[in-house]
Amino acid sequence: MSRRTALVVILVAGIAALSAGIYVGRSDREPSDGTQPGQAAATLLGLTLPDVAGKETSLAQWRGKLLVVNFWATWCAPCREEMPEFVRLQAEFGGKGLQFVGIALDDADKVGQFAAEIGLNYPALIGGYGAMELSKTLGNRLMALPFTVIVSRDGTIAHTQLGPLKGSQLRAMVGKLI
Amino acid sequence: MAAGLIAALTLGGAGAQSPDLLEPERAFSFSARPLDATTVEARFAIADGYYLYRDKLKLSLEPGALAAPPVLPPGKIKQDEFFGTVETYRGKVVVRVSLAAPAPGATLTVKAESQGCADKGVCYPPQVQKIALSLPPAGAGPGPVVEFAPAKKNWFK
Repeated sequence: MSRRTALVVILVAGIAALSAGIYVGRSDREPSDGTQPGQAAATLLGLTLPDVAGKETSLAQWRGKLLVVNFWATWCAPCREEMPEFVRLQAEFGGKGLQFVGIALDDADKVGQFAAEIGLNYPALIGGYGAMELSKTLGNRLMALPFTVIVSRDGTIAHTQLGPLKGSQLRAMVGKLI
Repeated sequence: MAAGLIAALTLGGAGAQSPDLLEPERAFSFSARPLDATTVEARFAIADGYYLYRDKLKLSLEPGALAAPPVLPPGKIKQDEFFGTVETYRGKVVVRVSLAAPAPGATLTVKAESQGCADKGVCYPPQVQKIALSLPPAGAGPGPVVEFAPAKKNWFK
């Protein structure tokens, strides 16, 4: 094999390996059942879940808003810790079109109790296993909490986060997207 | 360097952030071994940076009535703003589960229900894991350790 051929082979092999590596990296964050991200966003906006009082609440009513959907539970301490900051942001930017929605994998009475304690000023919906499966299609591979999805006003997903969202980071994103 | 390049390329899209997290079966490795014809020893090996909640840990055997509810060892006590006193396990937790009557040679399922979190600030949903094992004959010593094996194998881990 000539030196040039060898270089070409190495280059091609390198690109192939890099592509395979990119595929591996992407599949970690892509929806696990092969749905397109756009479809997952549409499914999220089409969701109807009961609130703490049992009233069926549709996320579609918030189309056009900057929607921050936060999957959480009272049994998840990091989830509880980040919520007071969400309350502050909702108060500050709600008039400008920001809407937080909490989806709790939890009992309604525990959710209601915690919501009252922190003066929750945005809807707390009760999600079951189906809601967690949906979070998986949005990229929450491990179905862990907290998991937050930011949906732009045009209905596309602007950001997903597994783990706590720092107030400063969220504030910067809200400022940019509102 | 290749990993960094791949990371830069994959994170460049519509923003996504995920901490490096273990699959729950790796963060909380469940195993069990029969000690004799009556008792099974269940064990969780907990990875560094992860912890289990004591009040969410349940061990049981199927089929078979237990002699008594399994005794859970004390955990590390923490004060939680919402739940008050909370006990957690780190490193490992070992629990003995005993049948009400010996069942030499019987095949049993050891069932563990658990819920844990990572110090990185993430909590896993409640897990249910089952291990099938056989009790040794009467008078025989402990049997081998059986590790919990998840149904799906993920190639890329």
